[in-house]
Amino acid sequence: MILNVQEDRLLITSDTHLGSLFCNPRPGLTHFLEYARVHKYNVCVNGDGIDVLHTSLRKMTRETAGFLPELRRITDGGDITIYYTIGNHDIVLEHYLADWGRLRLVPFLNVTSGNKRIRIEHGHLYDPFFLKHPDLQDALTRFGGLICRIHPPWYHWYKLYGVLKYRYIYRLLKRTHAEGGGFLDAGERPSYVEAAEELARRGFDAVIFGHTHNPGILPLNGGKARYMNTGSWFSQPYYVELLNGEIAFKPWLDPGPLAMASLAP
Amino acid sequence: MSANYLEELSYKTGDVIFEEGDKGTDMFILQEGKVAVFRKFADEEVLLATLDRGDFFGEMALLENLPRSATCRALMATRLAAIRRGELLMKIRRDPTFALEMLQHMSRRIRYLDEQLISLMERERVSREELARVRAASEYPDKEHAA
Repeated sequence: MILNVQEDRLLITSDTHLGSLFCNPRPGLTHFLEYARVHKYNVCVNGDGIDVLHTSLRKMTRETAGFLPELRRITDGGDITIYYTIGNHDIVLEHYLADWGRLRLVPFLNVTSGNKRIRIEHGHLYDPFFLKHPDLQDALTRFGGLICRIHPPWYHWYKLYGVLKYRYIYRLLKRTHAEGGGFLDAGERPSYVEAAEELARRGFDAVIFGHTHNPGILPLNGGKARYMNTGSWFSQPYYVELLNGEIAFKPWLDPGPLAMASLAP
Repeated sequence: MSANYLEELSYKTGDVIFEEGDKGTDMFILQEGKVAVFRKFADEEVLLATLDRGDFFGEMALLENLPRSATCRALMATRLAAIRRGELLMKIRRDPTFALEMLQHMSRRIRYLDEQLISLMERERVSREELARVRAASEYPDKEHAA
């Protein structure tokens, strides 16, 4: 099992939800991987790269069958390594994805880059509801997916509910994280920030999660470390760039197929 | 702060964190710095390992309730987080990946010891065969002995 790696050039994104009925990340994800290959980065897809909960057999088959040749083409030269951490939407696909032979599957990743240590983890283990009632959460997620099929804007209402809950109601009830503020403004649940804080105390300079679909950065361990969340590809995708120990949080602005075609082979 | 139950300790260069034979009930996570692990052998200190940021040590005494099996010394200014026996479960509850990393760490150590054991057995077999050849050569000097 790979847990520790040394990477000088690595891009991390998460929650691409390939196959989901409610977003179409395949062209953008292919461009992202192509961009990484051309610029000699390795990539970590930090969980929920493929979605088995919000999908139909037809969509899933079409998307994965379309993505696999692209993945083969991009990885054929052997000049890019793609790490894939397992999330909660693709937990049942572990062996299937391993059989693709193009992804290095990991439960989480401790990356050393320059003099920095970075933890990359999907983050679903710190979701109290997922831990206490995994079957119920699975059922509710599927149910939510069904409602989204009937009325797609429901997803955005759900996200708005999260923002209201953690930005206003939790703050009103004084259930905010001690160093909270920035992230709670984006609707982040305190349990993830506390888990990141716990990890930061183990000597990590940055803790990168996905899962919550709330992109942002928050200081940890008295400002010695940072919590980063790369959000999801349902809306504006974000990624973290590790470059010889420098850690940067950036939005992924898809250059489009024409610009991608002009990149070096 | 959520992680405050972990006591943080600081050491200067050359400070002994614990000594072989000490009674110890804490394990440590190396937050910053470097630590050397030594063990006494024939009145000499043998360096077993050098630990870096993020590594952990001292778990054997914590898990088995036995005296420390090695001496640990700070090689530079070092900061540690100490985990007591009662806090280990709490740590694993809050940070389950820590348990997986501990298991991998111990698995790696068992693999290393297995390799050392096989290498020692191989060396012993070779020296036993060599000894047998020398004996045979001295007892029957006229016969040829294969090298």
